[in-house]
Amino acid sequence: MLVPMSKVNIVGHRQSLDGTLTALHRAKRVQVIDVTDDIGVRLPPLTIDEEHLRSIEDLRYLRARLDALLHLLPEMTTHTSEGISDVDLEDLRAEVDAAAPEIEELLGHLDDLKRETEALPRHLESLRRLLPLLPDMTGLESYETTALLVDARHATVLGELNQHLTTELEGNFEMVSDRVDPRTIGAVVIYPKHASQAVHRRLGHEQVSRVRLPKQYETMSFRQALVAMEQRLAELPAAIEKAEDAVTDFVRAHPHWADARHAAVARLEQLGAIRSLGATPHTFVLSGWVPTENLGVLRTELEQSLGPAVLVYEAEIEAEEEPPVLLRNRAPARPFESFVKLLQIPRYGTLDPAMLLLIFLPLFFGMMLGDVVYGAIVLVVAWLLRRRFGPTGFAHDLVRVLVLSGAWATVWGVIYGEYLGDLGRRLFGLTPLWIDREQAIEPLLLFALAVGAVHITLGLLLGVWQAYQAKDRRRVGERIGMLIALIALFAIVGSATGMLPEATMNPAIAAAIVGLVLLIAAGGAMGLLMGPLEVMGTIGNVLSYLRIAAIGLASVYLARVANELGAAAPLWLGIIVAALFHALNLVLGVFSPTIQALRLHYVEFFGKFYESGGKAFRPFGADDTDSLRPTYQQ
Amino acid sequence: MEIGLIAIGAGLAVGLGAIATGFAQARIGAAGIGAIAENPELTGRVILLVAIPETLVILGFAVAAMLIILLGG
Repeated sequence: MLVPMSKVNIVGHRQSLDGTLTALHRAKRVQVIDVTDDIGVRLPPLTIDEEHLRSIEDLRYLRARLDALLHLLPEMTTHTSEGISDVDLEDLRAEVDAAAPEIEELLGHLDDLKRETEALPRHLESLRRLLPLLPDMTGLESYETTALLVDARHATVLGELNQHLTTELEGNFEMVSDRVDPRTIGAVVIYPKHASQAVHRRLGHEQVSRVRLPKQYETMSFRQALVAMEQRLAELPAAIEKAEDAVTDFVRAHPHWADARHAAVARLEQLGAIRSLGATPHTFVLSGWVPTENLGVLRTELEQSLGPAVLVYEAEIEAEEEPPVLLRNRAPARPFESFVKLLQIPRYGTLDPAMLLLIFLPLFFGMMLGDVVYGAIVLVVAWLLRRRFGPTGFAHDLVRVLVLSGAWATVWGVIYGEYLGDLGRRLFGLTPLWIDREQAIEPLLLFALAVGAVHITLGLLLGVWQAYQAKDRRRVGERIGMLIALIALFAIVGSATGMLPEATMNPAIAAAIVGLVLLIAAGGAMGLLMGPLEVMGTIGNVLSYLRIAAIGLASVYLARVANELGAAAPLWLGIIVAALFHALNLVLGVFSPTIQALRLHYVEFFGKFYESGGKAFRPFGADDTDSLRPTYQQ
Repeated sequence: MEIGLIAIGAGLAVGLGAIATGFAQARIGAAGIGAIAENPELTGRVILLVAIPETLVILGFAVAAMLIILLGG
């Protein structure tokens, strides 16, 4: 159902403005109406004084600073949304400015350590592969060593390098190379230190990449570097733990930062609302929407926190005004609200179709899937998944809808006598309670049409009721005309096919004419053209319910194919093939009926009564639950 | 022979309806995904729009079923 809304005017002395905004923000009960959009209150908007402007600037700076720091720190928990007073705002700003370099250094150090942990094993691997090629350098202090790793596909480059170095160093060097793994050739060049520049230049020319060690190991020999790196790698976990402890200690020393950011955001929202208020020389007027059931509580809360300085009046809702929409349904229908919102929420004062979706959506799903085993699998999987998702959200709601849908699919499976298609009948002789979809196609099609006729008729009845509530006589006439014409057409078809007595034909034709005339008359100038077209459209809507039979038949035949293929192959292979086909059928059988059942509601059923276009109720302060991650939006 | 012709007629009724639905859904789907990328709130309406042309193949199915049931004996 849609929660009834009241419009309130909250009037107070300007001295009570901050207190009122804080109280309303905390109460989260009122959606503020911008005074420039308010038809009822014709006042100029309140201007923000210098003091408040300064506060806004300070708070924005503080929020940006805290956002940047909190983004770097491990997540902090918020405890309160109490406001920040202007006194501690200064202190907080100074504290944040002073502490920022410290935490940036701590986090920088931690990052360096983590990078080192990732980089060292790569260097160690290269060194370990090259180690067998490295000579003992004792007594060769005046010589330098350079190690190379070359892709085995480009091995010829080493020969070319050898030739060039022989010419340039007149043979005063040593080069050894060997395959260090199937894809890589390792090479080590030993040369006098004075020839270092020439060797490096040549390596650059040949575009051979040498094994480079991190800066702190560059002056060591490869063997020394290997030992030092292994030692450093062993020390790193303790160093990282220490650095992380330092960050944690910092977070613990500043527990109020997350709360402060939270409060800064809340206060900014409060100050931002000032421009939406109306002003007289000494007072402010805040207009807003509040659920009627909360009106008394709101009055009491404001009286308790602000005394008689602020008054709450219930205002008249003008005809042009449309209150915001708050959906509230009983627990079983609540998951279906997501499917209502998926389309667009209803306008205020119209029907909330969540309860109707609860009744019909899983029912239609069950009619289409209609298999005991498939239904049980959907039911069990959805039941097991239902705690996986958070307390709200589309996935949470979808899983709950699938639990009901699976249950209905199981029930319809018993009615159709389907247990993994015809496997139940083949193995255990299980028979349908009512119709065998595979054989009785005609009754199945008629059943689908009957479901459509009932559903569309219900939609039209709801449409008549809704138009009557809205005192829209034209629409009442249109929908009653359509209803009469549709029922009369059913009677004509029933009489023509012998399902109804022949005597019903003439009254049915008369009723169809009456309905059509009513529809045309209510439609005004375009009624003559649109009336018959709308009747055709509605018949098309009823025919559209044939998809309940069509989707079901597709599922039945795919299940049968799975069983036939399974039976044709040897036992184990047959079971695997059948299981794969049944799994495919189940995936299609969950996806397709969900979409089709939704479509039948959105297009065929809702088209008869549903009025979308409502605006969701957003109480002042309700967005105050933002995460600590920065938004950078304001 | 007659049964064969009825079967071909039924197949054409569903098949041509399915091709028409496919064409329509391809265009609506492509435009719809673009619209969702711009504004995710349109998801519900896009699903609805994509599902609308399916009526063509359902009506084809209805014609095929009538051919088989009424003429196929």
